[in-house]
Amino acid sequence: MPKRSAPGDPRLDLLQGTLDMLILRILQWGPQHGYALAQAIRSHSSEVLRIETGTLYPALQRLETRGWVTAEWRQTEAKQRARYYRLTAKGRKQLSHERARWTEMVAAIGRIMNPDLLKD
Amino acid sequence: MTLWQWLVHQRRTDEDVQEEIRSHLTMAARERQAEGDDRDTARLAALKEFGNVMLTEEAARHARRGSLLEYVDGILKDLRYAGRMLARNPGFTLVAVLSLAIGIGANCAVFSFADRLLLRPLTVPRPAEVLTVGFTSPNAARAVGGASYRDYVDLRDRATTFEGLIAFVDPVVGFAAEPDALPRLTIGMLVTANFFQVMGVEPELGRAFRADEDQVPGRDPVVMLSHDVWRRQFGADPTILGRTIRLNGIAFTVIGVTPEGFTGLDQYVRNEFYAPLAMWERLLADSGVRPFDARDFRRLDIRGRLKPGTTLAEARAELTAIASDLERAYPDTNRQQRVVALTEMQARIAGAPPIAPLLVMLALLAAAVLFVACANVAGLLTSRSPVRAREIALRLAIGAGRPRIVRQLITENVLIALLGGVLGLGVGYAGVALFRQVQIPTDLPIVASFDLDRRALLVSLAVALLSAVLFGLAPAIRTTRTDLTAVMRATDAAGVARRRWGRAVLVGGQVAVAVVLLVVATFVYRGFRRQLSAGPGFRTDHLLMMSLSPAQLHYTPGEAKRFFARLADEARRLPAVESAALTRYMPMDGLPPSVTIVPEGYQFPPGKDSVAIPRSLVDEGYFDTIGLPILKGRGFRATDSADAPAVAVVNEMFAQRYWPGQDPIGKRFRVDTARGPWVEIVGVAKASKYGFVFEPPLEFVYLPYRQRPSESMFLLVHALGDPASLATPLRDAVRRLDANMPVSNVRTMEELYRMRSTVVLDVIVKLVAALGAMGLVLSIVGLYGLVAYAARRRTKEIGIRMAIGASQFDVVRMVVRQGFVLAVTGLGVGLLASAGAARGLRAVFPGGAGGDGRADLVTFPLVAMVVLAVTLLAAYVPARRASRVNPTDALRHE
Repeated sequence: MPKRSAPGDPRLDLLQGTLDMLILRILQWGPQHGYALAQAIRSHSSEVLRIETGTLYPALQRLETRGWVTAEWRQTEAKQRARYYRLTAKGRKQLSHERARWTEMVAAIGRIMNPDLLKD
Repeated sequence: MTLWQWLVHQRRTDEDVQEEIRSHLTMAARERQAEGDDRDTARLAALKEFGNVMLTEEAARHARRGSLLEYVDGILKDLRYAGRMLARNPGFTLVAVLSLAIGIGANCAVFSFADRLLLRPLTVPRPAEVLTVGFTSPNAARAVGGASYRDYVDLRDRATTFEGLIAFVDPVVGFAAEPDALPRLTIGMLVTANFFQVMGVEPELGRAFRADEDQVPGRDPVVMLSHDVWRRQFGADPTILGRTIRLNGIAFTVIGVTPEGFTGLDQYVRNEFYAPLAMWERLLADSGVRPFDARDFRRLDIRGRLKPGTTLAEARAELTAIASDLERAYPDTNRQQRVVALTEMQARIAGAPPIAPLLVMLALLAAAVLFVACANVAGLLTSRSPVRAREIALRLAIGAGRPRIVRQLITENVLIALLGGVLGLGVGYAGVALFRQVQIPTDLPIVASFDLDRRALLVSLAVALLSAVLFGLAPAIRTTRTDLTAVMRATDAAGVARRRWGRAVLVGGQVAVAVVLLVVATFVYRGFRRQLSAGPGFRTDHLLMMSLSPAQLHYTPGEAKRFFARLADEARRLPAVESAALTRYMPMDGLPPSVTIVPEGYQFPPGKDSVAIPRSLVDEGYFDTIGLPILKGRGFRATDSADAPAVAVVNEMFAQRYWPGQDPIGKRFRVDTARGPWVEIVGVAKASKYGFVFEPPLEFVYLPYRQRPSESMFLLVHALGDPASLATPLRDAVRRLDANMPVSNVRTMEELYRMRSTVVLDVIVKLVAALGAMGLVLSIVGLYGLVAYAARRRTKEIGIRMAIGASQFDVVRMVVRQGFVLAVTGLGVGLLASAGAARGLRAVFPGGAGGDGRADLVTFPLVAMVVLAVTLLAAYVPARRASRVNPTDALRHE
């Protein structure tokens, strides 16, 4: 369960379903294990988005059962065994779908929040 | 997410998840170490950052199963929703479920009946490969007759289309577990050594026969016991192998036990033992016959297992070719002998010709009931569809997918069908309880056990699902195809006319089908009543019978003859006995086998030179004792002995057929073969029933027992008082003659007749009548529903009419008229169809449903009147209610 973020906390709770999209997006760059995924989301969001591991692993599991990612055990460069997740064709399709939806939603929210920006 | 995917992913274990988390922690700790923390601090920090490990594992596990949960949850949601929908409309639910229960139950019951009598496969592996092979000739009475041992060996050795061919006889023998025990009569099979191997049956204990045990006639008295006997009589003794039992007094060594569930190759007989065919001659001591040498001693049954990939046609072609070779090689014995190969089903139908058409008739009637039931539910769904359409349009509008809605509707229909199916099992069980009254009257292990077993349950489920498709598909498609806005905006008026038209056709069809059901039921009922009241043509009261087989004690034919003569004398001497007689076969106990006859001077069609006529062997007291009148000439006399001229008594049909318009007394025929001895007809007996109660009139011949002795006979006594009380004195009489003589099938003729005729007819009549009643009740419900629905639709119109002066009577007439038109149309169509059904019935009951082939003209007006009366009532009730409506309320309606 994501904790309610305290006022002023720069870390944001993710909108439901957004985590899945983020994971798929990062996996688009190549197979990755869970720890690296968490790190990647944090660093690419300039430390704003922090993924609770208690949310990350169930999410990975969910993506796997839906057939959007597959997983296999491999060695990391540091000779550490880790479970690598790879995007499937189905996952790629899902990502583009979610990306479209996301764009649409951002635009819609933007129209409401900042109507004056769109007027010209 | 399909179920399959879920099953595959389920392979990921909890350990795997734990390891993944460990790997995460290790990597986090290493990174901190790299940043300068010491080992323990790094570890602790990583753990702290990670949070609750166990909760994460739990959440991962939940996510893993989540998809299935979602799936199941969807179904559960649909089910809950469907359940709520049904609960909200109790009237609809009740009528729909009860209708289906009747329809499904009727089919379940009829299937149980048909399964026991015809459909159940053999209890061997891959039963469909097993064919019945037999010989037949243009003169033969049976479609597939027995084979001789020599012919069997030729077929076995030459046929290449079969994996193997086996042969057997299934004799009645005296079975004793101990040497000095009184044997009891039972049935077993004498089989060729390859029997178990070809049939694919593995012994549960011990072994099957070796090839050498079936080579030398009479040498190897070894036996396999059936699982049933082993358990019942020997307490499932695991040390039974090597024990000795006695069959007809001969010691046999037990070498094996057959597996549970295998009862032989007959659907009714539960064979109790299996012995090598080579023991045939020694066991049965049939006088003067050499079963292994004579090519025309055709008593063997043959079964073959087709090679995989071989077709029935190929097997038939090969067998025909072999038969032609045999005919050329042995013209004396094999002239015109053809080989036939039938599937198990064909063989069963050929073996009991009246069964198949009877079952087809019952299946059609049951299907008709199911149709009427489904029409009811479809009608109900249609009348609800405007309401549903609005609800569904709403759900579509707020974003539910069309497949989702269709799934919801299907769930509802399947739920209704399954509820109907469950209740239908009750109806089916009532049918099975009814069939259980049918029992085969014999002391032998021959049973027809009716059960609501797994096969019947599966069929009921299939019928339920089929019915869901039948009643649900059209309304479901129509409901989802609706144009959203139109439905949301409109009142019920849109598209109503078209729907009502469809429903009217349904209801008209229901009435028509119900009429056919009723006509058939009435035909059968009246016909059977007539048949039962006409009686079988002989006395059924004050008669007691018992069967005796001295052959089982290895009596010589002379000894057997003397034994029977003395027994009949002893019986006649008993004070309560009016008369006593001996007969080889008992009427109503199945049709006796036929004898080959060539009537003198009769011109046979080309290719045929004789007829096969069922016959009995009786003594001089038989006709008097059983009360069968001799119409012309005389019955048998004690002087019709072996050295006197050969004589016969024939029945009316026989005399009329071969000497029409002439006096049959003094005419002659040859028996046994086309060149057999001449026999002179001395009397004509009145026709009666011989094998079964709804058989057509049969030609029948009686031959004097003294001229054709048999080693197994019935003693039949006519008692002055209660015949059952004679059982003990008669048994005593038998014991005085030979204390070891097995006595079996002691029963009164009343009981035999009841079990073979009254009960069977009664069960069929009840079944058919129940199907007819179901059809009628269901179609009345359908008609009532339609009229009530239509009247409700027209409430506003009725209100207007009444407001401008229509009387209540006018309204009633208007509403009833619609129902009446439907009923009359249905009735007309139904009566036309019934004429066809009546013709079909005559095929089912060749004696005519009425036993005498008379057209039953009362039935049609009777059924017409009943149907008209109840349909009018069904239309009147809602019409009356409609006419009571208050015009002002009606105008405000909707």
